[in-house]
Amino acid sequence: MADALMLRPDRELIREVTQNSGGELKKCFQCATCSSVCSLSTEARPFPRQQVLKAQWGMTDQLIGDPSIWLCHDCGDCTARCPRGARPSAVMDAIRMATIRRLAFPRFMGNMVGRQENGAIMFVLSALILLAIAILPAIRSEVRPLVFAQMFPKDRLEPLFFAVSAYVVLALTIGALRFVKALRASGADGPILPALVPVLIEIIRHRRFASCGAGHVRRWGHLLVLSGFLGLALMGTTVGIGSLLGLMDTPIPTLNPLKIFANLCALLLVIGVSLLFWNRITNPEKRAGSSYCDWYFLALVGSVGLTGFLSEMLRLAQNPDWMFSVYYIHLSLVLTLFLCTPYSKFVHFLYRTLAMAATWRENQSPGQALVGARGSEITSA
Amino acid sequence: MDKRLGVYICGGCSIGESLDVDRLAKVAATGHKVPVCRTHACLCGEEGVAQIRGDLTGGAVNAIVIAACSPRAKMECFNFGSTQIVERVNLREHVAWSHPPKDEDSQALAEDYLRMGMAKAEKMEPPEPLSETISRAILVVGGGVTGINAALEGAKAGHDVLLVEKEPQLGGFLGGLKKVFPTHPPYTEAEDNQLAEKISAVSAHPRIKVFCSTQVTRTEGQPGMFDVTLRNGNDAETHRVGAIVMATGWKPYDRARLTLPGCDLPDVVTNVEFERMAAAGSVARPSDGQPVKSALFVQCAGSRDPKHLSYCSSVCCMSTLKEAEWLRAQNPEVEIFIIYRDMVTPGTYESYYQSLQNHALNFLMKGSVTSLERDANGKVVVSVDGSLIGSPIRVAVDMVVLATGMVPNSADNDAIRTLRDARRTVERNESETQRAEAEKIVTLLQDRDGTEILNLSYRQGPDLPVLQNGFPNSHFVCFPYETQRTGIYAAGAVRSPMDSAMAAEDACGAMLKAIQSVQLATNGQAVHPRAGDLSYPNFALQRCTMCKRCTVECPFGALDEDEKGTPKFNPYRCRRCGICMGACPERIISFKNYSVDMIASMVKAIEVPDEFEDKPRILIFACENDAYPALDQAGMMRATYDASVRVIPLRCLGSMNIVWIADALSRGIDGVMLMGCKFGDDYQCHFIRGSELANRRLENVKDTLERLQLESGRIELVQLGIDEGDRVPRIIDDFVARVRELGPNPYKGF
Repeated sequence: MADALMLRPDRELIREVTQNSGGELKKCFQCATCSSVCSLSTEARPFPRQQVLKAQWGMTDQLIGDPSIWLCHDCGDCTARCPRGARPSAVMDAIRMATIRRLAFPRFMGNMVGRQENGAIMFVLSALILLAIAILPAIRSEVRPLVFAQMFPKDRLEPLFFAVSAYVVLALTIGALRFVKALRASGADGPILPALVPVLIEIIRHRRFASCGAGHVRRWGHLLVLSGFLGLALMGTTVGIGSLLGLMDTPIPTLNPLKIFANLCALLLVIGVSLLFWNRITNPEKRAGSSYCDWYFLALVGSVGLTGFLSEMLRLAQNPDWMFSVYYIHLSLVLTLFLCTPYSKFVHFLYRTLAMAATWRENQSPGQALVGARGSEITSA
Repeated sequence: MDKRLGVYICGGCSIGESLDVDRLAKVAATGHKVPVCRTHACLCGEEGVAQIRGDLTGGAVNAIVIAACSPRAKMECFNFGSTQIVERVNLREHVAWSHPPKDEDSQALAEDYLRMGMAKAEKMEPPEPLSETISRAILVVGGGVTGINAALEGAKAGHDVLLVEKEPQLGGFLGGLKKVFPTHPPYTEAEDNQLAEKISAVSAHPRIKVFCSTQVTRTEGQPGMFDVTLRNGNDAETHRVGAIVMATGWKPYDRARLTLPGCDLPDVVTNVEFERMAAAGSVARPSDGQPVKSALFVQCAGSRDPKHLSYCSSVCCMSTLKEAEWLRAQNPEVEIFIIYRDMVTPGTYESYYQSLQNHALNFLMKGSVTSLERDANGKVVVSVDGSLIGSPIRVAVDMVVLATGMVPNSADNDAIRTLRDARRTVERNESETQRAEAEKIVTLLQDRDGTEILNLSYRQGPDLPVLQNGFPNSHFVCFPYETQRTGIYAAGAVRSPMDSAMAAEDACGAMLKAIQSVQLATNGQAVHPRAGDLSYPNFALQRCTMCKRCTVECPFGALDEDEKGTPKFNPYRCRRCGICMGACPERIISFKNYSVDMIASMVKAIEVPDEFEDKPRILIFACENDAYPALDQAGMMRATYDASVRVIPLRCLGSMNIVWIADALSRGIDGVMLMGCKFGDDYQCHFIRGSELANRRLENVKDTLERLQLESGRIELVQLGIDEGDRVPRIIDDFVARVRELGPNPYKGF
């Protein structure tokens, strides 16, 4: 027993989880209904039951590196079935947010972005930066056709975004390294790099969403947002690099295949966000379990898509009154999204992928198959 | 008594369609020559009952046989007074409903039953009720919450109550507590202890006489006339009471017996020790008096563990929660850890559990504590294994509280008696080996010395026999409060682990049983399960051989002995089961309406055909408490079984005298089945061990059978629950098939 874990409850974690969506955390009495009804939970990883207990006891160190909190796909089945009203899925959500804060680099950013009262700061910051770019040396001209570069010159905007991207990549890398270290410490020792390929295939197929009981709306919503977003990110980067190198010029003509592809992606994104919004609003369990972080992220992604569309329309309409201001808002939102990436719900793309990779091997052994794991804890608990 | 038998045969409830009622009437009228034999299409109707009444009042008959439904049905209709001889023949459930209609074998079965009923009625005599002067006063032993409530309830019901407490003041364990579990909505906070008000009410009540610093040194006599000697210091006085409520409460499980490593550390206390500290004002670390900033509660410390207490004490989870609430009130920042196996908080207590569980600094976890150690900082490090975290954990706390369980304050009657017997053997010093053996027993059991509570003068020992785990309750499923000593009722934590709210209710229940017992004694009636029965056994002592079987086997200690070993019967202690009658080899014990001779006559009344192939004859002795209702139930389900069986109901299978089996086999009956209640640890016998005793006697009979060249397979004992009517056809048909295989009884036709 000498190597047994010495527990010192982290009151800050308990406070944080209960103040976010995990307000009913203490109601859990470990009946394991949640892990039994969960289609992703396995005998070896009985989530969310075990994670709720760890949160009740303020076991921060044991939660940060626990891959289970990311293996959960937040379908809400457990919350619907919980006999004590402890809302396990909402607790998991709160644990994830608390973990993101603790993995964040630099830490003060994590602490700031995660708080509801700081919700507007990042947007205001982004808007101010962009305003500076736009007004410092005023070079506005009335040359037609109107293009956005008249307000935000490429030679200023592109370096800004590349610099921010570099910062974000750095922050994500450090977060990822911290997370992998914590994963290893918790005993999730599966090889990550070789597992990335099958994990990414699985993510693309959205198989785990399919096995959740949450229905198709969420699966398709998430899939559309993901693919739309990936497409746009790819296009944005391509065009950014292209224009910086002088290989491309913006705006790209509307009928250019690249532009058509980008518009298609934006459409998928907006439809996907709408579906997810719809799902959160119409499903009472989901609605009650949605935290500030959920809404913040969803609203951010959705408004990026919407303002982007709107800007394009206004540009095509050559409307000088609205075109620049909407684009300004769009760019501010994009910059906010960039800056928040490592600290908001957005970062789940990284941690979940890593967690899935680190535990990939577990799912491949016989008897641990993902589908069919339902009810595994009924016999074990 | 000159018998004028009236036989009344009912044709209703499909008896008439199934059987030839006229032929049955002929059996009674011509075969048995009874003065009155009537048939009626609906005997339980007004007309049928009026006819019987008319014959009784007109003097045409003085004993009646009603051949209709089961004796368990229509009891009110066919009640002609408690001293009227009535024998019921069960044609409905046992013939018409369970055998094919218009069938020769069914008809033969009905005719046999009628003959058996008439044979018994011929020999029955009306009971002569007991009529001694009964004391209505009730003694309550133990002045804790149970005793106090029992005394108040008894006094409110108009009985004089003697309340005896061995401590100098009333209150018991609860008296030392500040707070009790919540009993009012929203059930989320412990409540103030209100016992003091009850104590004043007891002290002020004119019907209650309180004896503190007093012990019961002797209890003599029987229900309705117990003479109890109460000793206070050197003063002793004797009081007569009618019944006794024993509410001697509990003691905490001895922490010295716990095997948890480190449980003797200075900062480890039991829940009872914690309560005493709390009642004294504040809880601090015992080792250095420092404030408690963190505490860990170990649930089930020695409970639900076959090595210690195998049961759940039902209060420790709640008391832990109450103590947690207390600690939180003392210091809102205290961290409280509770390691449990299961939180047992039934009913509204669940709200209390939930409200405490919801506090951010109350940490609850299922797991088992494996060791306690003191670390360099003076903290107690608790190791927990098997937790739902999935790996062993440790927690360092200022203080550990062991939730130990309740041990009943009962006296182990059997041990005390064995110790006394062994001491006597040592004194007599008759043989060296006996003496050595007895001395060993004395050493082993000497801690039982002085543990007597009631000091009964009974031949079977000075106290209430205890069953599982030291509780004196004798049949908690059917008869709570009941003990193996008639007129003495156990209540509160001595009966079963319970909290104060439940103990107060228990007190009421046990007091009502005590009042009932006094009332029934006044009427000369038995207490349950044969409540109201006026009959009791008579002993033809001139033929007694002093074999002591009856005095030993009576489950209720109804019989004492004189110096020579002659049984001395105390009728008011008797439950009228007839186990003594079954035990007596000389057959000197009989009731006015139930005797060895009566049942033997019923056996003789069975017509045994010489032909075996189609008509073997099987006799079933069925306990009328469970097996007989199960047979009735089979009939109600219209389940058919072999018509070669003849059922005789017995008061208890323990009243079965083996002479009946000998009689049956010598008359050519091919097999005998005994149907009784389940026995063993979870026995269902209404008289504790009747079926078990019958089984033991049966083993002896089987040896005798082998000597007579008779197969022992011809006799079988079956344990049957009251709810197992569906098993009846199978059990009977299988047994008949086995007997058929054995072939006819070789004594048939002799």
